[in-house]
Amino acid sequence: MRILVVEDEPTLCLQLSRTLSAAGYAVDTAVNGLDALHLGSEEPFDAVVLDLGLPVLDGLSVLKRWRAAGRNMPVLILTARGDWHERVAGIDAGADDYLTKPFHMEELQARLRALIRRAAGQAANELVCGPLTLDTRSAKAHVDGQALVLTSHEFRVLAFLMHRRGQVCSRSELSEHIYPMDNDRDSNTIEVFVGRLRKKLPPDMIETLRGMGYRLRCDA
Amino acid sequence: MKAAPSLRLRLLLGTLLWIVATIGVTGWVLQGMFEQHLSRQFHAELATHLNQLAANLEINAAGQPEVSHVLSDPRLERPYSGLYWQVDRMRSDTMPAKPALLRSRSLWDGELRVPDDWLGDGEHHEHRLNGPKGESLRMIEQSLHLTEQQAENTEQTLRLIVAADEKLLAEPVERFRGLLLMALSLLAGGLILAAIVQVVAGLRPLNRLRDELTRLRDGEQALLGGSHPAEIQPLVDELNTVLERNAEFVERARSQAGNLAHAVKTPLAVMANAAAAERSELAELVTSQVSVARQHIDHHLARARIAASAQVHGQHCLLRPAIEGLLRVMQRVHAERALTLHLDDDREILVFRGEAQDLQEMLGNLLDNACKWAGSRVEVSASRQAGELCIDIDDDGPGIDIEARPLLLQRGQRGDEQVPGSGLGLAIVDDLASLYGGRLALLDSPLGGLRVRLCLPAGKNKELDQASTGEKSCCNT
Repeated sequence: MRILVVEDEPTLCLQLSRTLSAAGYAVDTAVNGLDALHLGSEEPFDAVVLDLGLPVLDGLSVLKRWRAAGRNMPVLILTARGDWHERVAGIDAGADDYLTKPFHMEELQARLRALIRRAAGQAANELVCGPLTLDTRSAKAHVDGQALVLTSHEFRVLAFLMHRRGQVCSRSELSEHIYPMDNDRDSNTIEVFVGRLRKKLPPDMIETLRGMGYRLRCDA
Repeated sequence: MKAAPSLRLRLLLGTLLWIVATIGVTGWVLQGMFEQHLSRQFHAELATHLNQLAANLEINAAGQPEVSHVLSDPRLERPYSGLYWQVDRMRSDTMPAKPALLRSRSLWDGELRVPDDWLGDGEHHEHRLNGPKGESLRMIEQSLHLTEQQAENTEQTLRLIVAADEKLLAEPVERFRGLLLMALSLLAGGLILAAIVQVVAGLRPLNRLRDELTRLRDGEQALLGGSHPAEIQPLVDELNTVLERNAEFVERARSQAGNLAHAVKTPLAVMANAAAAERSELAELVTSQVSVARQHIDHHLARARIAASAQVHGQHCLLRPAIEGLLRVMQRVHAERALTLHLDDDREILVFRGEAQDLQEMLGNLLDNACKWAGSRVEVSASRQAGELCIDIDDDGPGIDIEARPLLLQRGQRGDEQVPGSGLGLAIVDDLASLYGGRLALLDSPLGGLRVRLCLPAGKNKELDQASTGEKSCCNT
């Protein structure tokens, strides 16, 4: 899952980026509104953490422009401005959640998980696909109750496939959602991760559709 | 400080005094002039009679004075008519004095007792004396020397007297005084009436100004409106400038306080996050102090809002859009709780007399609390009761014991430390509500949980129509 963190305070930005990376997300950061606008418009993010008081272009304007351009990824506003009229303005600009500073990292993570899950049409924190379960809170996957040992890239690929289980995910789509911007994106490495995952999962769970991509089958 | 006497009273008293003084003096002068004129006329009349008497007086063959012709005024013939004449013989070298030698018929049996007097030739003397009936008379006298034609040396000195009842003078004076009094009273009445009308009409703009100020104080308008006379308009303009400046200062102070608070919050977040990543005494200290700092910021930010709100007048906003905006926020922020948020659809358009942001701040805190505690349902209903706007927020949560309720309205009290929140919510809402003259009550909800009833001053629809056409339309959500 790929997340954009927009925060102009460098230390907080770093903290967010580290914590979210450690939780298994591919994190991109932007420190001003214009960068955020471009990144959010070009790249497919699964969620955005957006500060409102930004240099160059304020957060609300960025959000409104994304929504006007049809970008509908979940956006969590993280701001020091906690007045209710400001919250109403944020939600009405198209935000999906609103969290005020200072905040608990755990709460931010919980809210992000919930946003991503809801965007994927999931009701619970635990995603289930046949014998495979994935707990988004603990970032752990199990097959028939047996914990899987996964690298962070493997986990990201699996989590993305789990959120879109039953649907076809192209290789480029996968690579876009598991790598941050600054990484070399080689869709061949996706094949490597998928190959490793196949070995750890029950046979035939990850289906390859030639020329189209991969599909996680829960009825296998 | 002792209040200065009313302007109206002052103007009226001043005018009244002036009118009474001028009319009084006028009456006195007119009366005096009229009396003087009458008196002169009276005197002239007496003198005419005296001349006539002198002209008709002659010495007859017996050497006695006699009046040759009847004098023309018929009153002299009518007994006790009030007009009399009499001829006395003065004592001289040859003749003894004989009073009432001749007299008018009108004197009848009586005679005029004129005090002795020494009259020079041609002199007229005027006296007052009592008449035959005891009436007060005014008389003039003149001496006349008559010489008998037959006896050269028997010269007689006669005193000719004409007297008239003073009533003849007093009556027209009385009549004139009555007329004068009536005319002057009418004039004074008219002037006083005109003065009252003038004062009332002249001071009416001040009454209008007072009404405008009352509306301003009641928060029905932000500035003084209407057109005023040229003498008052500058005052109104100045006052409006002061009000605008005041509102501007308040707004600036509030936004400065907000900026400061928000500028501090981000470093606090950084510290809290850094501390949360470690396990040490220092980290724990930072965590607890950040939480204390946050409470202080929230509290003082809310106090700044309250202090600023007290200064702002003439705001109105619609209740419904404010609630709807907040419900949209609740729906998102509490999406995980899968709550049913229901707004009772009242047909009436309800208006809050106050600032939109304050209304949202109060309702936002209450709704947020309700959503935190609710099991599955939060209901909002609003109605207008006796000039008040009453908003009920019901939840189906565990509710709060009656004994614990008053505590919740105190600062820093929280129902449960497990539910996130600064613990200021209800106390701040209570403060804000009482600032607007409203109140907050914690009751039992028919849904089983807590009902929070917030009562606030209601505004009128009509006023909102006027307000919303201006630039300060509120409740933008």
